[in-house]
Amino acid sequence: MDEAQLINGIQQGDRKSFQILVETYQRMVVNTCLGIVHNKADAEDLAQDVFLEIFRTAENFRGDAKLSTWLYRIATNRSLNLIRNNKRKRFFQSIEETFAGGRNKSSEISENRGDQPDRNITDQQRSDLLHRAIDRLPEKQRIAFTLNKYEELPYQQIAEVMEISLASVESLIHRAKKNLQEQLLDCYKKKCV
Amino acid sequence: MVSYIKSNTMKTKCIHNDLIFYLDNELSVEKRAAVEKHLAQCTDCRSFLAFLQDGMQIIEKEKNQEVSPFFYTRLSARLEEKQVYPTQSQWVRLAQPAFFSLVLLAGIYGGLKLGSNASSPKANQQTPSSVQILNDFAAEPIESFLLDEL
Repeated sequence: MDEAQLINGIQQGDRKSFQILVETYQRMVVNTCLGIVHNKADAEDLAQDVFLEIFRTAENFRGDAKLSTWLYRIATNRSLNLIRNNKRKRFFQSIEETFAGGRNKSSEISENRGDQPDRNITDQQRSDLLHRAIDRLPEKQRIAFTLNKYEELPYQQIAEVMEISLASVESLIHRAKKNLQEQLLDCYKKKCV
Repeated sequence: MVSYIKSNTMKTKCIHNDLIFYLDNELSVEKRAAVEKHLAQCTDCRSFLAFLQDGMQIIEKEKNQEVSPFFYTRLSARLEEKQVYPTQSQWVRLAQPAFFSLVLLAGIYGGLKLGSNASSPKANQQTPSSVQILNDFAAEPIESFLLDEL
């Protein structure tokens, strides 16, 4: 069953077509969301929201772009929305903590591990460090970088997903890498892991 | 880039800023060769390269995650829910404001009706007697009340 048939089936409310679509693309969508939110449970919930949106709005799909491009676009938008909501929640929590006299426990890169003699750090620590560095990238850089690194998408398809020019994608990914490197270098110099 | 190589700064200065592009194989042949030459001499850059490499390997490990085997089952359940609830919530969404609007209108109408009754001449006629009944002070002045108490 090709993309057009799948979409046609979903547009007519055919659950079998929907199941095929989900089974074909679930890994791709979950991985895209995971690359942005860095939490598997959240990524799966987001992926489900993506597929529900596809089912609900299938009639709007005109077939101008590839189905995967559409899926990537919804997945990245929903992931960014979740991050924005979480940021807002954390902001209000930090205000509450401030008024309650508690300590602000925002996730900063720890800088007090210089006493560790070696750099024998666990994967979890490395992973946390990288996630925090990715999370600090501006949104567009983060999306372009994630699609390129986690999904190995070519620049052309990233441009289609983000609806920007190829040159912009190149620039975004270049800047994302530079920013990431700066953050990791900063952490390396301060021996934060 | 050529000037960068010609200036020979790589021999003395660390090249941390190029290493992520070196890892991703995005440097030109000349620059790559220059970076490799520098890495052979500079311990700090080699150490940072290893640090960077470890960090980037996390992405490689993360990107091949298996999806939960119950993904579609859960999704299907949510789809059923969404298909059942919209009809109910649509009814509730329409009925609730309609009901509260009716209550509000009834309240306003009742209020107006009471107000008009109160301002009618018939009601005005009844007012003095009702005030008299309710107003104990008029019937019994405070002085006599206090005297009775004593």
